[in-house]
Amino acid sequence: MVAARATLLALAAAAALAACTGVDQLVAEDAGRELTEVPFFPQTIHQCGPAALATVLGASGVDATPEQLAPLVYIPGRRGSLQVEMLAAARSKGRIAYVLEPGFSQVQAELAAGNPVLVLQDLGALGIRRWHFAVVIGHGIDRDLVILRSGTRRRLILRGNDFRRTWQAGGNWAAVVTPPDRPPATATGPGFVRALADAGRSLPGPALEAGHAAALARWPADPLVLLANGNDAYANGRTADAIRLYRQLLSIDPGNVAGRNNLANALLDAGCPQAALAEARQAAAQLAPGAALEAPVRDTLAKAAAAAGGDESLCRPK
Amino acid sequence: MDLRQLVVAITAACFLGLGLQSTASAGIIGTQDYLAAETRAGHLAEINTALSRADVQAQLVALGVDPADAVTRAAALSDTELARVAEQMQTLPAGGDSLLAVIGILFVVLLILELTGVTDIFKKI
Repeated sequence: MVAARATLLALAAAAALAACTGVDQLVAEDAGRELTEVPFFPQTIHQCGPAALATVLGASGVDATPEQLAPLVYIPGRRGSLQVEMLAAARSKGRIAYVLEPGFSQVQAELAAGNPVLVLQDLGALGIRRWHFAVVIGHGIDRDLVILRSGTRRRLILRGNDFRRTWQAGGNWAAVVTPPDRPPATATGPGFVRALADAGRSLPGPALEAGHAAALARWPADPLVLLANGNDAYANGRTADAIRLYRQLLSIDPGNVAGRNNLANALLDAGCPQAALAEARQAAAQLAPGAALEAPVRDTLAKAAAAAGGDESLCRPK
Repeated sequence: MDLRQLVVAITAACFLGLGLQSTASAGIIGTQDYLAAETRAGHLAEINTALSRADVQAQLVALGVDPADAVTRAAALSDTELARVAEQMQTLPAGGDSLLAVIGILFVVLLILELTGVTDIFKKI
C-alpha cells in the first residue's frame, strides 16, 4: 500500500508539474497584469473560505488570518463557507463587499484598479460539485490566462477557458472588498450606496459618511447618492447643505417622495414653514396609495401644517 | 416545542422589540429606511426578517457553529441575505474544497478500478 501511494503521488505530482510549467512559461512571455503585492494564505482542509477572505481583506488593508476569520465564515456541517457570509464577514471588518456584475471584463476592470477579486469556482467533476473560493490577482493580455491565489498555490495560472468553465458553474460569482471611501471600479452609484447600507451595522458613522461623500464625488447626479449625502448633512445639523443637496436631487428626480419629504423637514429646521408646507403637500400628493413611506410623509405634513399655521412668513430668519 | 423552535421564538421576540422601533419618528426618511422601503413592504417584512435571523442562527448552531458566533454571524447579514440563507442553508454553495478533494476522488476511483480488477497499479510484484 505504501508503494501504491508513492506511485499515485508521483503520478499526481508529475501531472501537476506538467500542467503548470507549460502555462508558467506562457505567462512569462506575456506582458500580463498581475497584483503581485496581494498577500497569500495557504488554506488548510475545507478552509478556502477563510483563506480567500484573508487574502482580499489583507489587500484592502485589514490584517486578519484565516484562523481569525474561520469563526466568522466556516460552517462545520457544510464543510465550507457561504458566499453571503464571506460578504458579511468582510463588512464586519469595516470594509465594503461589492458583488460584481457577471462577466470577466468586470473582473479585469477591478484588477486594473488594483482590487483582487474573490471568486467561487466549482472544481468538481462527473457531476459531483466541489465549491471552492479563490482570489483572481491577474490575467494575461496577449494570452488568455488567469492568475489566482488558490488553495495551497500562491500563484496558480489557469488557461482562460479552464478558469471560466469552473467559474461559470458557480454562476460567475465575483466580489471585491474595498475601504468604504473607495468605491469599486465597476460599482454603480445606487449599488455602492446599498453596499454601504448593508455594511451600516458594522461601520462607524464617519466611515459611512466618508463613503457617501466618495460616492458623491464620483456620481454627482445620482438621486440615491444625493439623498444619502443630504441625509448625512441633515443628521449633522448642516441644514443649508442638506437643503441644497435635496433640491439638487429633486431637479434630477422630481418624483422622489423621500427627497421632497426630507427637504420639507430641512426647511422646517431652517425656519421656513411655508416653503416646508408646500414641499410636504407635494410629497403627500406624490405618494402612491399604501406606500411604505406613507407614515413619515404624513408626519412631516402634520408638523409643517402646525408650524405654518401660526406663521405666514415664507422664510423667517432663525 | 423543541429547542430550536424555542431559540427561534425567543430571538424573534428580542428582534421584534428592537426592529419595530427603528422606523423614523421625526418625519425624516433615513437612507436605510428608504432602501428598506424600496425592497420590502413595512412591518410584515420586519417580522419575517426577525424570524429569518433567528432561524439562520439556529441552523448555524445545528451545523456546528459556536452559538456565540452564530449570533454575531446572523446579525451581520442584510435582510435580503437572511431570507435567502434561511431557506437555502443546506443547498447554497459552500466553498471549502481544494484540489485535495479532487485528488481524493481520483484515489477512490483508482482504488475501485483496482479492486474490480480493471487495473493492477497497486499490486506489489
